[in-house]
Amino acid sequence: MVKSYKISDLMTCTIADLLMDGETVFHGVSSHLPMVAMQLAKHMHAPNLVHLNIPGGVNPTTIKNASYSSAGADLVGAAEAYFPLEEIFDLSMRGKLDTAFLSGVQFDINGNVNASVIGDYHKPKVRLPGGAGSAVLIPTAKKVIIWRTKHDPRTFVNEVDFVTTRGNIWKIITPLCVFVYKNGKLHLESIHPHTTLEEVEKQTGFPLLYDELTYTNEPSIQQLQKLKEIDPKDYRSLEFLS
Amino acid sequence: MLAIGENVLHRAPMAFIRELARRKKSKLSLVKTAGAHDIDLLYAVGAVKTVTAGFVSYETVYGLPKHYRKAVESGEVKTNEHACYTVISALRGAQANVPFMPVQGMQYGDLIKYNDYFVVVEDPFTKEPVTLVQSIFPDVAIIHVQECDEQGNAIIYGPKFEDVLMSRAAKRIIITTEQIVPRYKTKQNNERIDIPGFLVEAVVHVPKGALPTSCYKKYELDDKALRTFIGLKEKAEINQFISSYDLQDYSGQGRKRSW
Repeated sequence: MVKSYKISDLMTCTIADLLMDGETVFHGVSSHLPMVAMQLAKHMHAPNLVHLNIPGGVNPTTIKNASYSSAGADLVGAAEAYFPLEEIFDLSMRGKLDTAFLSGVQFDINGNVNASVIGDYHKPKVRLPGGAGSAVLIPTAKKVIIWRTKHDPRTFVNEVDFVTTRGNIWKIITPLCVFVYKNGKLHLESIHPHTTLEEVEKQTGFPLLYDELTYTNEPSIQQLQKLKEIDPKDYRSLEFLS
Repeated sequence: MLAIGENVLHRAPMAFIRELARRKKSKLSLVKTAGAHDIDLLYAVGAVKTVTAGFVSYETVYGLPKHYRKAVESGEVKTNEHACYTVISALRGAQANVPFMPVQGMQYGDLIKYNDYFVVVEDPFTKEPVTLVQSIFPDVAIIHVQECDEQGNAIIYGPKFEDVLMSRAAKRIIITTEQIVPRYKTKQNNERIDIPGFLVEAVVHVPKGALPTSCYKKYELDDKALRTFIGLKEKAEINQFISSYDLQDYSGQGRKRSW
């Protein structure tokens, strides 16, 4: 049987596979793709995963109403309890947040994240939105998964313009590959089946480090079926459309 | 220093924000954890001197806040960049009336090197380094709620974001509300009151006062209006956009109470 899937499906399933049963997991604003991945993990192998989010809805039963925002009241309306953002931050400070999903605009081989500016900090060429919770969550959450729907030499750079934060990055998932952060450097862990090592090399602004290179697992039929059920409007692809 | 309640695309006190623009307020200092249309609109009319925030942007489908970016990139105005949590800590400092709060995590990035509201000192007890964030004492907090009585006892439905904290941190609290409810009703619901009236200076009845952002249990975000605003470039167009809300923003006037 030939499976048909989009890059957003592959990224969502790859992220879902990284989440483990029983973990406390947080996502923020503009985070539809990891939100869907969390819901997928909960419906597949991690029923006891604890879904935390900015509006404070613990374990919302559905994400189908989160059309334009991953920080809306719908996540509280469908939740089993209320646990707001400031308490999620405190939870992370106490070392009890297992996984946080964050992003940024530039990343370098040393695991530095820039979500602040392009150019000079005080007279920026481009003012970016800011890291939101990143500067405290990336260092304090036990594991940080970064997702970014762009993979080009402007995103994965030799040296970031500004270090908004660094810390407990575990994996970075892009449309082309998965990086793992170990021994202070980003290492290529797997490349997606639709690309080649040459393409990843071409699109990355720093030299690729890798030991054993594999292809990223394709989504399973079961995962793809479940995605249709939990995310029928394909919110996971929003970032690819805008 | 004005603290603006609510988060990104949700329950922003837009009627009040538009009134600031109509009255041509300028040199405002704003504080908010994560802002979008409210901050972008005040930048569009040139009302802002500084913004203190962890995040300023619309969400994915609406893109980036053009007016804010343009102003910051031109060097006209300053961003006091925080993590959302350090804004929360700075407001907690104000809530307890102490000059600073210790925070974790900031030592790994450059924000503490470039911004003087973060400092690293020696913990007097353990002698270990500890990062402090300077407390933020807002003069006024403006919070839009679904229900409030004439005394200012306010109930927020759905996510409260940092509104309750802001109501304790600011010197003066202004509530705009979808509905003014009779006092016996808030009394029946007294355990649900998020902001007690004795903290509140003024209550303003503004139905639909959060539009074009969403207001839980009342209305959804106004996609068309938000997209219209985001597409605007000229000052005249922006003023026209604000004027298009005049009738609506004043529709609760007959029931305006204590100011």
